[in-house]
Amino acid sequence: MARKRIASPQGFAARINLPLRVLGAIVGGYGVTSLAVACLARILPLRPAEASIAATLASFAIYAGIIVAIFSARSVLRVWLWLEAVALLLGGGLYWSILTGGRL
Amino acid sequence: MKDGFRQSMAALHTWTGLLFGWLLFAMFVTGTAAYFQEEISRWMRPELVATAPPAPATQAAIRWLQSTQPDAESWFITPPSARNPATEVFWQPRIVDGEPHARRRRGDTSATLDGDGRVVAVRETRGGFFLYRFHFDLHYMPVLWARYLVGIAAMFMLVAILSGIITHKKIFADFFMLRFGKGQRSWLDAHNVTAVFALPFYLMITYTGLVTLATLYMPWGITANYASPETFFADVFPDNAEVAHTGVAAPLAPVGPLMAVAAQRWGGAAIGSVQIANPGDRSATITLRQAANSAIGARGESLVFAGVTGRVIGSSASQGGAMATQSVMVGLHAGRYAGWGLRWLYFLSGIGGTIMVGSGLVLWTVKRRAKLPDPMRPHFGFRLVERLNIAAIAGLPAGIATYFLANRLLPTGMTERAEWEIHSLFLTWGAVLLWAIARPYRRAWVESLALTSALFAAVPVVNALTVPRDLLSGLMTGDWLFLAFDMAMLLLALGFGQAARKAATVTSKPRRRTRETREMAAA
Repeated sequence: MARKRIASPQGFAARINLPLRVLGAIVGGYGVTSLAVACLARILPLRPAEASIAATLASFAIYAGIIVAIFSARSVLRVWLWLEAVALLLGGGLYWSILTGGRL
Repeated sequence: MKDGFRQSMAALHTWTGLLFGWLLFAMFVTGTAAYFQEEISRWMRPELVATAPPAPATQAAIRWLQSTQPDAESWFITPPSARNPATEVFWQPRIVDGEPHARRRRGDTSATLDGDGRVVAVRETRGGFFLYRFHFDLHYMPVLWARYLVGIAAMFMLVAILSGIITHKKIFADFFMLRFGKGQRSWLDAHNVTAVFALPFYLMITYTGLVTLATLYMPWGITANYASPETFFADVFPDNAEVAHTGVAAPLAPVGPLMAVAAQRWGGAAIGSVQIANPGDRSATITLRQAANSAIGARGESLVFAGVTGRVIGSSASQGGAMATQSVMVGLHAGRYAGWGLRWLYFLSGIGGTIMVGSGLVLWTVKRRAKLPDPMRPHFGFRLVERLNIAAIAGLPAGIATYFLANRLLPTGMTERAEWEIHSLFLTWGAVLLWAIARPYRRAWVESLALTSALFAAVPVVNALTVPRDLLSGLMTGDWLFLAFDMAMLLLALGFGQAARKAATVTSKPRRRTRETREMAAA
C-alpha cells in the first residue's frame, strides 16, 4: 500500500520507487549524515573534543530530518540527485579541511 | 500535495513502526522496569535487610578487601545508599606477565558486604540489573550486535514519532477522545491518547537513548578530529591515565575523612563510589565519585586523593558546553537523579510508551483485517504479525513474572542459578510464542493474557510462602519496598486479567465499511 501512495508512474519505475527511497533514506541518509557530522566537527568554533561531541549530538536530528525529507520528496530521482550533490559538497569540504590541516 | 505529504508520512509511520515494533515493545517494557532496577534487585535479594552509615561501611569493606584481595590491581566499592542497603565490592585482579588470562565468573571478583564488612549470603541473581542490561544489550547474542540492533530500532522509533506527529492533524482534540468498544476506532484512539499523553517524553527518551551510545552509532564526529578513539579519550579524561605500581608497600589512609572532604566540597552530596588503584602500594590513589542522585548529568564530579597521604591530587575537569549537554542527556535518559515522585512519573511515562507501541502493533492488524479479501483466511504475513503481537505483548511480561517466581523457587545452592533465572524468562516467552502459533487467534490472546495475569498474581503468594517478608508483615513493619512490590504485581495481574476479559468478550463480527472506516484508512 505504501507503493501505491508514494508514486503514480506505472510499471518498472513505480516498482523500484520504494526500494530506492528506502535505500536512499537508510544508506544514503547515513552517509550524508556522517559527512555532515564530520564537517561540523571540524568547522565548529570550539575545542576539538567539544566540536566532535556537539556534532555527534546533532547527528540523529540531521539523520531523521533527511529520512523524512526523502519520503516526502515528489520524485525519487530528485532524491538521489540531491543526496549525491550534498555528499559531494560535504565530502569535498571535508577533504579540503583535512588537506589544509588545522585539526587532526 | 499537502495531503500527499501526509499520506507518505502515514505510510512511513506504519512500516517503520511495524518493522521494529516488537523490539521497541521489549525495550519499553524492560527500560520502564529498569527505572526501579535497584528496588527490583533488593526484592530479589530479600536477605539484605539492615542498612549502615556509608563511611564506616566503606572502611569495613576496605578492611575486608585488604585481608582477602591484597594483591588486586584495583578495588571498587559502592557504599550503602538509600536505594541499596548493602556494600557492593568488586576488584580487578593483577595481571601477571606470562600467566594466561583465567576465565572468571562474576562471583569470583565481587562480593556483597554488610555494614561491618562481613559477606552477606545472598541468593545468586542478576536482579533488576538484568532487565536494565536487556534494554540495550539484549541476551543470547554478542553485545555489539545487540547495540547496533537496538540503535537501529531507536532510529526507526525517532522517525516513527516524527512521521506520526506529521500524520496526526488534530493532536489537541484527539487527546480528549477515547471511544471504547468501537473496534478499530478505539485502538486508534488508544494509540493517539497514549502517544500524545507523553509525547515530549518519548521524543526525549528516544533521542537521549541514541545519545547514550552515540559514539558507537556515529563515530565520525570523533574520527574527524582524532586519529583514534583512544586519543580522544586521553584528551577528554586526562586523569584516567594508569599510575605505575612501585612495589614499595605503604598503608592506606583512612577513607572516612576523605569522604567528608569530598562531601563538603560537593555541598553535602553523597559519595556514589570509591575506587582504589594499586592498594597497599606507595602509588595508591583513591577516587571518590559523586552519587548519581546529586545531579542530572550522568558524568558526575570526582575527586582523586593520594592513597597514602590523603592529599587531593586531582578533580574532574570542568566540562565544556557540549560535553555537559551530553552528560545531561544521558542522565535524563537513565533517570538516576530522580527522586521518588519523578521516578514514578518516569515509570508511568514508560508504561504509556509500552501501551503506545503495543496498541500501534494491534492497530496494524485490526485495520487490515477489515480489508482482507477473506477475513476468515488471512494471508501468511498477516497471520505472522498477529501471532508475533501476542508473543510480544503477553509473552515478555509473562517471562518477567516467571523471572521473579524463579528467584523465589530455584534452590539457593543451585549451580548457575542466576543464569537459570534468566533462562526461565526466555523459556516462558518462547512457550507463549508457541502457544500463540498453535491456538486459534482469539483464544490465543485470551489464554496468553490470562496466563500472564495468573503469573503476576502468583508472585506475592509465592513470596509470602518462601520469604519472611510479605504483604502482611510489610504492612505491620512498614517494609515499604516489599509492600509496593506486591501491590505492583497485583496491579499488573489485574491489568492483564482485565485485558484477557476484554479479549474474550470482543464480538468479532465483520463490520460493514462505513464512512468512519474509510476516513480512518487515510489516517
